[in-house]
Amino acid sequence: MSWLLAFPIIIPFATAVIAFLNRDKPTGRWWSVLGSLLLLLASGALMVRVLQEGVVAAQMGQWAAPFGITLVADLLSAVMVVITAITGLAVAVYALADIDTAKEKLGYHALFQVLIAGVVGAFLTGDLFNLYVWFEVMLISSFGLLILGGSREQIDGGIKYVALNLVSTILFLSGVGLLYGMTGTLNMADLSLAVEEVENQGLLTVIAVMFMVAFGVKAAVFPLFFWLPASYHTPAFSVSAVFAGLLTKVGVYALIRMFTLVFDHDIGFTHTILLWVAGFTMVTGVLGAAAQQDFRKILSFHIVSQIGYMILGLALYTPLAIVGAVFYLVHHIVVKANLFLVAGVAQRLTGSTDLRRIGGLYKSAPFLGFLFLIPAFSLAGFPPLSGFWAKYLLVKAALDIDAWFIAFVALAVGLLTIFSMTKIWGEAFWKPHPDGVEPKLNKIDRADLWPLLLPIAGLATLTVIIGLSPEPFVQFAERASDQLLNPQAYVAAVLGGAS
Amino acid sequence: MSLFFIVALPFFGALLPGLMNSAGRSACAGVTFTITLAAFVGLLTNLPAIIAGDIVMARVDWMPALGLNFTLMLDGLGFFFALLILGIGLLIIAYARQYLSRNDHMGEFFTYLLLFQGAMVGIVLSDNILLLLIFWELTSLSSFLLIGYWKHLPEGRQGARMALTVTGMGGLAMIAGMLILGQIAGSYDLSVILQNRELIQADPLYLPALILILLGCFTKSAQFPFHFWLPHAMAAPTPVSAYLHSATMVKAGIFLMARMWPVLSGTPEWFVIVTTAGLVTMVLGAVIALFKHDLKALLAFSTVSHLGLITMLLGTGTAFGAMAAVFHILNHATFKAALFMSAGIIDHEAHTRDIRRLGGLRTLMPVTFVIVCLAALSMAGIPLLNGFLSKEMMLEEANHTKLFGSPWLVPVLATVGSLFSAAYSFRLIGHVFLGPVRDDYPAKPHDPGAGLWLPPALLIVPVIVIGVAPFVAEPFVKLVTAAVLGTAADLPSAHLKIWHGLVPALYMSIIAVVGGLGMLAIFNPALRLWENARRPEAKVIFEWLVESSARLAQLLILPLHNGSFSRYAAIGTIAIVIAGYYAWATGTIGAPTYAMQTADPVLISGWCMLVAATLGMVFLHRNRFLSLILIGIVGLMVSIGFVFLSAPDLAMTQFTVEVVTIILMLLALNFLPNRTPIESSVLRRTRDAGVATAGGLASFALAYHYLLRDPVGAPISEFHLANSYKGGGGTNVVNVILVDFRGFDTFGEIIVLSIAALLIYALTETLLDGPVRARLLNRTPDQPRAGDRHPMMMVVLTRGMMPVVMMVGFYIFLSGHNEPGGGFIAGLIVSIGVVMQYMASGFAWTSARLKYPYHGVIGAGVLVAGFTGIGSWFVDKPFLTSDFTYVRIPPFEKFELATAALFDVGVFLSVVGAVMLSLESFSRLARRAETPESLHPMDIDPSRTDPPDVQMKPEGS
Repeated sequence: MSWLLAFPIIIPFATAVIAFLNRDKPTGRWWSVLGSLLLLLASGALMVRVLQEGVVAAQMGQWAAPFGITLVADLLSAVMVVITAITGLAVAVYALADIDTAKEKLGYHALFQVLIAGVVGAFLTGDLFNLYVWFEVMLISSFGLLILGGSREQIDGGIKYVALNLVSTILFLSGVGLLYGMTGTLNMADLSLAVEEVENQGLLTVIAVMFMVAFGVKAAVFPLFFWLPASYHTPAFSVSAVFAGLLTKVGVYALIRMFTLVFDHDIGFTHTILLWVAGFTMVTGVLGAAAQQDFRKILSFHIVSQIGYMILGLALYTPLAIVGAVFYLVHHIVVKANLFLVAGVAQRLTGSTDLRRIGGLYKSAPFLGFLFLIPAFSLAGFPPLSGFWAKYLLVKAALDIDAWFIAFVALAVGLLTIFSMTKIWGEAFWKPHPDGVEPKLNKIDRADLWPLLLPIAGLATLTVIIGLSPEPFVQFAERASDQLLNPQAYVAAVLGGAS
Repeated sequence: MSLFFIVALPFFGALLPGLMNSAGRSACAGVTFTITLAAFVGLLTNLPAIIAGDIVMARVDWMPALGLNFTLMLDGLGFFFALLILGIGLLIIAYARQYLSRNDHMGEFFTYLLLFQGAMVGIVLSDNILLLLIFWELTSLSSFLLIGYWKHLPEGRQGARMALTVTGMGGLAMIAGMLILGQIAGSYDLSVILQNRELIQADPLYLPALILILLGCFTKSAQFPFHFWLPHAMAAPTPVSAYLHSATMVKAGIFLMARMWPVLSGTPEWFVIVTTAGLVTMVLGAVIALFKHDLKALLAFSTVSHLGLITMLLGTGTAFGAMAAVFHILNHATFKAALFMSAGIIDHEAHTRDIRRLGGLRTLMPVTFVIVCLAALSMAGIPLLNGFLSKEMMLEEANHTKLFGSPWLVPVLATVGSLFSAAYSFRLIGHVFLGPVRDDYPAKPHDPGAGLWLPPALLIVPVIVIGVAPFVAEPFVKLVTAAVLGTAADLPSAHLKIWHGLVPALYMSIIAVVGGLGMLAIFNPALRLWENARRPEAKVIFEWLVESSARLAQLLILPLHNGSFSRYAAIGTIAIVIAGYYAWATGTIGAPTYAMQTADPVLISGWCMLVAATLGMVFLHRNRFLSLILIGIVGLMVSIGFVFLSAPDLAMTQFTVEVVTIILMLLALNFLPNRTPIESSVLRRTRDAGVATAGGLASFALAYHYLLRDPVGAPISEFHLANSYKGGGGTNVVNVILVDFRGFDTFGEIIVLSIAALLIYALTETLLDGPVRARLLNRTPDQPRAGDRHPMMMVVLTRGMMPVVMMVGFYIFLSGHNEPGGGFIAGLIVSIGVVMQYMASGFAWTSARLKYPYHGVIGAGVLVAGFTGIGSWFVDKPFLTSDFTYVRIPPFEKFELATAALFDVGVFLSVVGAVMLSLESFSRLARRAETPESLHPMDIDPSRTDPPDVQMKPEGS
């Protein structure tokens, strides 16, 4: 059982080492693709096992929980790992064409794989301090990916990114320390039992707030999101895509995990804060997007706005709302990463991402236009694409408990999202190019074209599949939500001593 | 044919024209026509069942968990609309084939058209309201693509976005409305909902649901105040306008109101909202239409007006009103589609749609003239044409309607609306076709080929037939009306006929027609009046709304998001402090369980030094060198603190880390100005000081209160203490935790460290290739350089210390498992030993003697650690399971061999590699800069024969 849980972490690490050793050769990038493929297989195997047997856990170093470090996968973790693997593979293929040799020489592929390992580690760990370690792994490798290339803009964005994230890290670490001091344990399943015995529930709530802020920075919620729009538009498009898809979602995952498993002692307080945070995040993000004129900056602000929806699911804290949050997570990773990939191709064809300076994509590259429309309208929540179901679930969950206002906010933000997406569509695709450039797809090297378009098409197909046949996904999310809200199975799997 | 096929055919068929564009324009049109025809025929096969009064159903479970099933239902109402959609669709396809020019991408057009058609058919056949919603949104989406089809036109793009934004808004409102409705009724199936009129209307949520659903209907059907998008959508090619805006999309809202009629109508709320909106729209649309010069704009506003009329009829909530509405939907679809297509013909032939540039076309385009004439007269409400009949019914209904307590309000406004309606219809005939032939048309107009005029001409057939013999349509209209009402029992007994006697409606009709003619007579002065009048322009308001919300967004977001790091950090800190304080203030916190301890003078003096160094940092941080020293003091005090707390491992680690980081930072400092300039105002610094103080005080308060309270239960460290030797084979618990209990953490951390080093390398590497390189080369240091940079004393000393340091490192590594120490500390110590050589003799000399590539050392470290972990799989244990044994090799004492030590080797290697790589990176910067590098161990060397001033030139110059 141990390898099943450790493989998804070890494979990207091993790939990173191999890719790093081959960083001067063209094989390096293919190692990255191969590693991503293997990760997909491993994550698939894990998913099958979790579907069959429920929560699975493994104790690293054979030290029984809670004394060692536990890796544990419930349905949420498993699906996050699978979707990470899918995104990772798509971006690894895209990077074949997107990343130049200068960046490869500096270890792009290794950093990318380490990032994936960090993300997967964060999803699989059952130990709070270990989660911190994976956050570190992600932070350092993402910082590296961000500044690779070394333009002034990148360094500027990178410094803000890393500095604000370090604030989160410090808070997280302090929170871990305080929580350990209060409960004497770091294992999350054990913590969920231990916090019930804490007398000073008020102090516990303060610590919960620290975690909320620490993860909130990672998830880029209001008012802690500034690092995201400051940096996401600067690096290579593959990097933007994988960041947009995965990084903030780790924060959301951590919030969901901690605020269903451990910090559910004062829902009236913590989840009310989350509800406000969700509302403000949705609104500021989408308003921020409305104020932008750059393809990637618009998309970056939309990440913030969409995070609000996921937090909304957690904040409402009904089974259906959690279903919505889980569904949203999965849908959003696919869609958002894809939009950034499309932006990359658009930039290649038109020479810029500034909407005022580009255009004509629809006429010259209608296929790309089609591939953009799918994730864009899915993001905006148009049926029958995946985003519609995600929003539908959340709005229904909100209406079910008469949370009128937040349902209204969620829908209104959806409208503004449509507005933003049509802005991109109108400017980049419909409008003729202001300089008369004809951005035809065949201008791109044939060897580059497939690596660029294949991942986009693949992710778009996934969006359509989720959209047209949402039932299994919703059912899955329902089971995941059930596991989250009734963590007995999780706790038993971790503490039961199974190895 | 199964309902599924009817809905699915256009969707799947939509692929064909898009894919076969290269097969030619006729092929595209042909295949589209065939698909639509198939669906049309399929629909007709269901006619017998409909006539028999049956409801045809088809059902497939889609998402039962969410109450969403693919349930289709065909009754009279659905049949009626589907007939319009598919029937007029056929004509439009034929027309579009001729209309679109060679430059237009035919396949794309028909793909969108079929998508739209499928979505429309889906709406009218849905039995599940969620399914209906999906099709509803799909029509918004596909119409967006259709309206913006001529993407080179800015108006087209703008119109499409406006249409999507407005109808999208309505769609979202409808989602909420439908969800509420479904919640009240307990089902999302229309067949269930329609049975629950009392339940729904009694529910307190009835009103919100009604308003939300009506928002959807009104936006889609362009009812006041959402009417403004429709005229701007006219930038679309004419076939699109003719299809979407006469017969289909704008009727979707009407359809839904009719569909929901049994459950939603009949309440005062419904009556007031719907009737008022309809009435206002009818009058307003008609008035604006009269003064529009663009043919399509005129028709667009007339559509708005007629939709208002239908809405008003539905609003009255009477069975007669419903019947009139159904009848008018039919009539309007026929004459309006014909008119739109004719407008397209005129545009196509005369190359203009501006009425002021037209006139006298009667003789030039006789066929078109006849078509327009008949359709427009029908629209004006002239007897013997179908428009007259439904308009009379409307006036009749208006006569019985009392709004806001006034019996004359509705009849008067309805008459006014009809009057203007007649006026613009007459203007359409008079100003375009009558009058003298002109010689300044942009192109010489003539009648087009039959391909263009035949589709509208076919539509004129029902206009006349129904107009002359209304009884032909009566059974069908009654059938549909029965479907609207939900029961045939309430069907009004009135018959469709031309002559009702001298009823008030007739007088109103006469007033309208005569008044319309009169209005046309005084058109020019009226136009001047209209143009001089100040009136709110909906488009301007919409754009103002959009722009001001964008500006508001900029106002709100940009100051927050202005790139200033200190602002972001301040906002974040304040958020943390407020949230934390709030949690603290509202929670329950037990009394302290510990008393304060007294502190002895040694502790206090240590604490004072820490505080002094920190405060000094605050005031002296602009001097960068000084602040490094102060940081060093802080670090040292923390290390001593660890010693005091009996944590020698931590102290050693902290201490060595301090040494290494300070050296690395010193190297970096070499390239920075000595002082940090003051860049912010006093005010801002005061703010920052305030924020920082708040953050500090909050941390202090939390730590203080926290330390006064007991932990819960036994911490897991007790297990670690108990099992360290037994299970981990070491007595140094800290080390056993690092390499065994929590080796997995350490594994992650060494990767972090390695990546950090690689990053420093990568950054310096990119910097050296960029513009920074020139700046480095041209840089003059702001400090005088030391004359003797590699002094002999230091060289001698460091060489002597080297083996000692290595021994210490080795010892610390080996003893680590049982005594304070371990791979991490050993790595740092060894690094310090090497770093000393660098400091003494310079980078070039030292690196010439160190042959291991640091990248490789790092990689080896990670690999060794990783393989140690993977190794345990081979003995079927979890990742990183350790084992140990005791061996005795004479002449040594018995000693321990642990796999954990191997893991520690990995840690050791990556630490050494990481430190050295960082150092190398910084030195590379130095070597590219002004500093000449010497290959000699020291600058002044008595044994050297070459003169010391002969030095290597800096690299890269």
